[in-house]
Amino acid sequence: MRNWFVGLLLVSLVCVWGCQPPDKKTDEAQDETQGAQQELKVAVAAPYTGGAAAFGDMIKRGAQLKEKEVNEAGGINGMKLTLLFRDDAGKGSEASLVAERIANDNEILAVVGHFNSACSLAGQTIYDRVGIVELSPGSTAVEVCEGSKWTFRNLYRDDFQGKFIAQYIDNVLTDLESVAVFFDNDDYGRGLRNAFVAEVENTELTLVASEAYERDTTNFKAQLTSIKSKKPDAIFISGLYTEAGLIVKQAREAGIIAQFFGADGIDNADFLTTAGSRAAEGTYITTPFLFGADDKKAQEMASNFEKLHGVPPDTWAALTYDAVGMIAEALQKTYNPEASVADNRTAIREHLAAIDTSEKGYKGITGLTYFDHNGDTIDKPAYVKTVKDGKFVAAEKQLGNLK
Amino acid sequence: MMAQILEQLINGLVLGGIYALIAVGYTMVYGIIQLINFAHGEIYMFGAYIALMFIVMGVPFWIAVPLSMLLCAILGMLIDFVAYRPLRNAPRLSALITAIGISLALQNLARMIWSARPRQFPSESLPSFFLSEVTQTGEVINAILLPGGGILPFRDVFILLLAVVLMVVLNMLIYLTKIGKAMRACAQNAVAANLMGIKTNHVIAVTFAIGSALGAVAGIMVGLSEVVTPTMGYYKGVAAFAAAVLGGIGSISGAIFGGIVIGIAEVFGADIHSGYRIAFAYIIMILVILIRPSGLFGKSTSTRA
Repeated sequence: MRNWFVGLLLVSLVCVWGCQPPDKKTDEAQDETQGAQQELKVAVAAPYTGGAAAFGDMIKRGAQLKEKEVNEAGGINGMKLTLLFRDDAGKGSEASLVAERIANDNEILAVVGHFNSACSLAGQTIYDRVGIVELSPGSTAVEVCEGSKWTFRNLYRDDFQGKFIAQYIDNVLTDLESVAVFFDNDDYGRGLRNAFVAEVENTELTLVASEAYERDTTNFKAQLTSIKSKKPDAIFISGLYTEAGLIVKQAREAGIIAQFFGADGIDNADFLTTAGSRAAEGTYITTPFLFGADDKKAQEMASNFEKLHGVPPDTWAALTYDAVGMIAEALQKTYNPEASVADNRTAIREHLAAIDTSEKGYKGITGLTYFDHNGDTIDKPAYVKTVKDGKFVAAEKQLGNLK
Repeated sequence: MMAQILEQLINGLVLGGIYALIAVGYTMVYGIIQLINFAHGEIYMFGAYIALMFIVMGVPFWIAVPLSMLLCAILGMLIDFVAYRPLRNAPRLSALITAIGISLALQNLARMIWSARPRQFPSESLPSFFLSEVTQTGEVINAILLPGGGILPFRDVFILLLAVVLMVVLNMLIYLTKIGKAMRACAQNAVAANLMGIKTNHVIAVTFAIGSALGAVAGIMVGLSEVVTPTMGYYKGVAAFAAAVLGGIGSISGAIFGGIVIGIAEVFGADIHSGYRIAFAYIIMILVILIRPSGLFGKSTSTRA
């Protein structure tokens, strides 16, 4: 009987401990320290655990930097900006649970997130029903902003990105003729693959293979063996960095010498460690943002970021930094302490929706952000990075405008 | 075409060998206490993490592997002692739910200790023949060049051989030793075995230890060619469980055979339609169970089902 009790105790202890969100402690600490000053709470929903956790890490750090800067500059009209980090594990099913909790929390005024397209889509219906802004700094699937007036994003869409990659291969790397696609079978991977394949048909490239994989699988040898038999010059991986790193590693082991391509889902240093720097060398990826050497604002943010966190920022930290900045600006201009939560949430949406021309655009470090009637960002470009000596660097040749 | 089939067959065999190692752990425990030990996938994951931790600390690979097996054997026995033993005479459903609980608890524990970030074995600390490579000039290092251009890394040959050796040792243990005889007796009828003076709890603990040690080996082997994550036990665990069911749960040769069938089915399924790769393996399992409800090697006992 005693054994039984000890066992139960142990299990419940570990469960309770393990299930707590990682930011719980800091939340409590903040709750204690804030005294009379009023807080304005904004949720930052991203994958802080699971296969996409490295993205969540950078998102959290980028958001924390902006939060610190806003509060050190006197807060928002004297009120303190408080970010609440909510984990969706990169999965749609988790995201709907988290979204439900955020939407029903009467202290949260807006949501920065989610990151994975599947999560943004899962959250969309819930945020739309309750009426709270969802501003994504990372979801690129075409449908993310469709069908809800509450959804916004501050980067390009996958129809643009897929087209861009196909044209880059066709116009810049002219010695590549046949391509294969290896895609993650979720909203992001499929959407991007479709855009890429559609554009390949308009170019002189030939598509020789299109294979799928499931998220969180780690053995790709079977699919790679069939791709190998088609002898493509280039392989486009439409997925996220963990799987992509393993794919590149296992492909090189299997003797595949094709040129690898990826999209922004691979834009994380963990891709390099997973693949191994030798296997990853020469891989090209697209990204919504590059830290340009001549961009003063971005360089300043990068050095502040490194001071605070000890590591350099990446694309997602920069986009989240801007997204939090946009919400902070909206709060500053519209927040009314007398009004109800629903009215304040609506005011934020009205403010964002009104940013619809380049003149009214928000000037962040990632460029000018303004929205079309869907909440999609217009005219933000894509850049190309490549792996050189085990690091991501800007590719020598960038592609100007799309045809 | 032939070359591709040969290469896929070998991919399937290597994967199947790993499934077999895990499936044996499910089937041995089921054979004796009729419990589906859902925490087995997590022991496999702990096996990989423990070995990884030792190797990072500087322990040589050939010592880290047996150490990890030993610690996982202890972990397996501990789980049995803490969670399952008190429920030995409780309804079977209670033990099953406890197994799911233990599985979740261990997964979260691993996440707390090692974080959710995928990790890899540091290649510089591994024996050099594990590091296969094809150079730019087409030279094949630490791998066999198959006819038709397929590449078979030495590491995969090692995984396959190790699986075979461990299975032979396991069979010898079960059919030639005293404890093996006791295990078989308990599997036939635990109450009668107890009456004959066999310490059933002792035998069950040994069963957990052996199954867990084999699971640890599988975890390390997968960690070598793939990555180590807190959730790695899920996919492989479910597939291995399917293998055990396909072979006839409770039967060790069934688990080995089932593992290889599932491995090969999965690989050729990917050739037909990659999006449904694992589904093909399950379809085969379902078909087998429809025709032979007790699995390929299972004894049809109406009382247990």
